[in-house]
Amino acid sequence: MSKIALSPNSSGTGTFTIASPNSNTNRTLTLPDEAGTVVTNASDIESQVKTATNATGSQPIYAARAWVNFNGTGTIAIRDSGNVSSLTDNGTADYTINFTTAMSNINYAWVGSLGYDSVAQEGWVSSPYNIAYSTWKTTTSLRTVGVYANGSANVDYIDYSIIVFG
Amino acid sequence: MDQRIIFKTAEGGVAVIIPTVSVELAMKDIPDGVQYKVVNVSEIPSDRTFRNAWTVETTGWETR
Repeated sequence: MSKIALSPNSSGTGTFTIASPNSNTNRTLTLPDEAGTVVTNASDIESQVKTATNATGSQPIYAARAWVNFNGTGTIAIRDSGNVSSLTDNGTADYTINFTTAMSNINYAWVGSLGYDSVAQEGWVSSPYNIAYSTWKTTTSLRTVGVYANGSANVDYIDYSIIVFG
Repeated sequence: MDQRIIFKTAEGGVAVIIPTVSVELAMKDIPDGVQYKVVNVSEIPSDRTFRNAWTVETTGWETR
């Protein structure tokens, strides 16, 4: 059986009290099986997050709220994603990303990238042609298209990614 | 994920929903009022040469 020891500090004079909240439920706090100290304020947590993400400086960190990477050729396949419940294939290089948990509003920022497999052309990700802003960008989904730089029609891409911040 | 949800778009084309986790979770992504069907991925053509020309007959399908 492991033990629990309380270690008073012989130099200090303050009294430390372990207090319970006003609750009728029995609860157990399990200590981690490692040495360390308890983090009690936001600045300590922020510092640890910055260390873990190799971020320096005082600038705040904003994480992506949703992301997806998929193969848009052949049988479309989602390689990996976060906060995306599904992808709607609307047509050639025309995709709607559906969020698992909706965004708070439509003020979120989004970026997209695409890539070919050994094709000597370029392309970019855009909003869909001739569709209302309020339709292609909502709190629950984001519709984008891959635009073929060297032609009037879209083509499918082997590597298509969308990232959402907000 | 071997299942897909297909529905007919307002323009007459075919949209295919590819779930990330499950069909059940992706059901919410079907537009309201459209008829849809859950199919196996093997039923979706892998040749996308004429993707925008795909059509589908929705007789007997469920309505969202």
